[in-house]
Amino acid sequence: MKRLLTSPLLRPVSILLGLTLLLAYWELARQLPGALWWQSLFTPNLDDVSQAVVHFSWLPRLAVTLLAGAALGLAGTLMQQVLRNPLASPTTLGVASGAQLALMMVTLFAPSWLLLGREWIAMAGGSLAMALVFALAWRRQLNPVVIVFAGLVINLYLAAISMGLLLFFQEELKGLLVWGSGSLVQNSWSGVSYLLPRLLAAAGLAVVLVRPLAVLELDDASARSLGVSLQHLRFAGLGLAVFVTACVVSVVGLIGFIGLAAPAMVRLLGIRQLGQRLLWAPILGALLLAATDLLLQSLSRFWPVLIPTGAMTALLGAPLLLWLIPRLGIKSGTPKANAGLLVARHPAPARLIGLLLVGLLLVVVASLLFGQGMTGWCWPSWLRWQAQLEWRLPRSLAAGAAGVLLALAGTLLQRVSNNPMASPELLGVSGGTFMGVIATALLLPALPLPLVGGLLGAFACLLLLVVVNRKHGFQPERILLSGIAITALFEPLQAIALANGDLRVQQLLSWMSGSTYYVTLPVAYGLVGLALLMLAACLLVTRWLDLMPMGAAVATALGIRLNRAQLAILLLVAVLTASATLVVGPLSFVGLLAPHMAKLMGLVRARWHLLGAAASGALLMVSADWVGQQILFPQEVPVGLVSTLLGGAYFMWCLRRL
Amino acid sequence: MAPCLISLLLPLAAQADKSPIASAPLTRIATVDWTIAETLLALGVTPLAVGDAGPYQAWVGEPRLPAGVVDIGLRTQPNRELLAELKPDRILISPLAAPLAPTLSRIAPVSTIALYDGQTDLWQRLHEVTLTLARMVGKTAEGERLLAGLDRDLASMQARLPADLPPLLVVQFIDERHVRVFGRHSLFDAVMTRLGLRNGWQEQTNDWGFSVVSIEQFMTLPTARLVVVDPIPVGVSERLQEPGLWQHLPLVRQAPVLHLPAVWSFGGVLAARRFAGLLSDALLQDAQRMEASR
Repeated sequence: MKRLLTSPLLRPVSILLGLTLLLAYWELARQLPGALWWQSLFTPNLDDVSQAVVHFSWLPRLAVTLLAGAALGLAGTLMQQVLRNPLASPTTLGVASGAQLALMMVTLFAPSWLLLGREWIAMAGGSLAMALVFALAWRRQLNPVVIVFAGLVINLYLAAISMGLLLFFQEELKGLLVWGSGSLVQNSWSGVSYLLPRLLAAAGLAVVLVRPLAVLELDDASARSLGVSLQHLRFAGLGLAVFVTACVVSVVGLIGFIGLAAPAMVRLLGIRQLGQRLLWAPILGALLLAATDLLLQSLSRFWPVLIPTGAMTALLGAPLLLWLIPRLGIKSGTPKANAGLLVARHPAPARLIGLLLVGLLLVVVASLLFGQGMTGWCWPSWLRWQAQLEWRLPRSLAAGAAGVLLALAGTLLQRVSNNPMASPELLGVSGGTFMGVIATALLLPALPLPLVGGLLGAFACLLLLVVVNRKHGFQPERILLSGIAITALFEPLQAIALANGDLRVQQLLSWMSGSTYYVTLPVAYGLVGLALLMLAACLLVTRWLDLMPMGAAVATALGIRLNRAQLAILLLVAVLTASATLVVGPLSFVGLLAPHMAKLMGLVRARWHLLGAAASGALLMVSADWVGQQILFPQEVPVGLVSTLLGGAYFMWCLRRL
Repeated sequence: MAPCLISLLLPLAAQADKSPIASAPLTRIATVDWTIAETLLALGVTPLAVGDAGPYQAWVGEPRLPAGVVDIGLRTQPNRELLAELKPDRILISPLAAPLAPTLSRIAPVSTIALYDGQTDLWQRLHEVTLTLARMVGKTAEGERLLAGLDRDLASMQARLPADLPPLLVVQFIDERHVRVFGRHSLFDAVMTRLGLRNGWQEQTNDWGFSVVSIEQFMTLPTARLVVVDPIPVGVSERLQEPGLWQHLPLVRQAPVLHLPAVWSFGGVLAARRFAGLLSDALLQDAQRMEASR
């Protein structure tokens, strides 16, 4: 007991507790005279309106908030302990979004399954997502940075799938929109009575697991020598954490980042013992969430916008992650040379590029010739060709140009970071563009196209990346992780926009999933011009690109000013990504796919790699655009969604192989 | 009544000069908007093509789309290649689809029909819009008859309704905690005004006349009568049966909640007529029940 009192946590916790109590007092005093508080908890006079509100809405909300916060704190601590990874949490491992997507799919396609119990469906989804993350990070010995990276990518991928569902089932899913963004509003005690017993059971199990789990602080060999079955132990610990997360998700939806913040704070404040951490992290999580929620409740009186608390914590969470990355002293292990990509050099790269270009031309022409019409599939005819020149040509050109831009960005990133997993959406520039666009669309709807906002967002994001990473000399893996933390910001922003049910959102939605629908012919020509210009610019820096993968020492010795070269390339990537994002939306994974294709074909030298990647990128995007237009005819699946589903699957496959 | 009529006709007269509509009646009309499609059907004209024809059946329901109507894909992104092939005389859009206008006008002349703009009186807009459409398809007489019939029906419904009804709160459930509540600038509000009913929701609404609120906000509206418009999402009605705030809302405890079958909440003349009929029937039945129990 004495040790508890002198704990370094005492001050922050009591400050937070004080804040929570003060806010709660203020809120409650506004609703009820102090004399009635006790009564309204146990024996409310339900004819009195304000007592009923307090009893059925305000108090359960506070209770659910505390429970959910504590649960997430517990889940996060368990995950961090089991994986020995200070960045693990329900959000960063993809568990929460997996659970949410599972619930969404079941609600849409098999609502009767919900009777089995929402938590089991959520748990199945969450476990699946986490298993995927593990599978992806397995070859890298579950390296902390890689695992969080994989988790955030899975989050993006799952979000893209739910975005696609939203596009086609908007009216059916409108309820899920509010729930999905983590609204804590309650109107009975059923949420509390659902969560409480499950949490108590989980807490009991966690107490049992404290001793064995503490062994995991040793390395594997010593732990095994103590006679602990590591596999069973890890399985039990993670299973418990996923179960707790699933329960929370099925009651209040996605509550971002509390599961990361609370355990991280406990650790930063110097608590090392597992038992202590398992005690304090839930307390801190509960208070953090409650304080945020109470603050939002007070705010909503002045500002009539529905801000789901879960979305708010996610907004706060991404900066926290950015702040944590440099502080937690993670060793970003040097990525090993990728055996899978060591291919024989192609003997005649110029001929191969020529073939690729011919292929591209053929695909563009074919995409204009073939397609469905009023009577289903029909043969090409002169009339049709003319019509397609008008309607489909701009789209094919724009898709191709965006493919080139993204492929170039991806090639630059992969060569510079020497990391075959690098891709522009993971740099966060796409996320920045997206935020700029959504902000201008909602705040200044008068602007014809939110183009300016997008560019501003992209550059602001780039600036942030530079500031965060300057100290560490633009270490590639850190840049990637901070980039994807920025990208993670766009989900909560989108959730807030969607939860407020504005019909304009449908347009944003279709843009977010990346459609070439609104492209006009002049814009398409402009894009093609830009793509060629940028290709030329990239070809100018091939010397850097050839030397930098050999390592910092070699490159410096050969006369490259490393920091400046890296910064220049980063800027190039930002411009490339931002301009492509404005056309095909924030996600596509083509920037990952195209450079790999080029390399697998044997294009190794930087110049040929760039050219090959550009051609394959264009090829991919033109085909994806065509497939998206035909597969659900007359509905259109946005090209960004098609290429995300395709490219994301490929990404997972090669991350596993890595 | 007379000044009202004149004010109705004035903007129309002004519009008629500007628009190239007046000439031959249009027969091949494509639209991305369900409300326009509904109004056309009410006028006895089958549109050539409608956006999201599948979901239309689920959400608008009445009147049903005839089998020949071509589905042109998402309302926000109608399939232009298909549209071009169909060769419509005119494409009708709502202001929501304004970004589409420049490209769609290369296929056929595009007219924007603005019903929900969140500013002018919706009832007046409803008349204007219906007449504009009627003239476009050469059915002015039908349009006038339709509107006169609507006004007459509403007037007779108003006459049958008891005089001292409480204000009504018309909601659609989003989930068990959140509802869309319809206020100023909504079709439901306009119809209720014509029926001599008061709307219990006087707060601010968006351009389409609703706002999203959580049900605890209804605690302070004790005297209103609650009207729930279907569809109710899966699982919500079961959860509302649990003891909780819903069961203790003064609105719910004082009088039984009125449930109405699905009505397209952003609809036109037919939706207005349907809502009025359903609502006044429900209110009348309710009054009879009260009478009987007394």
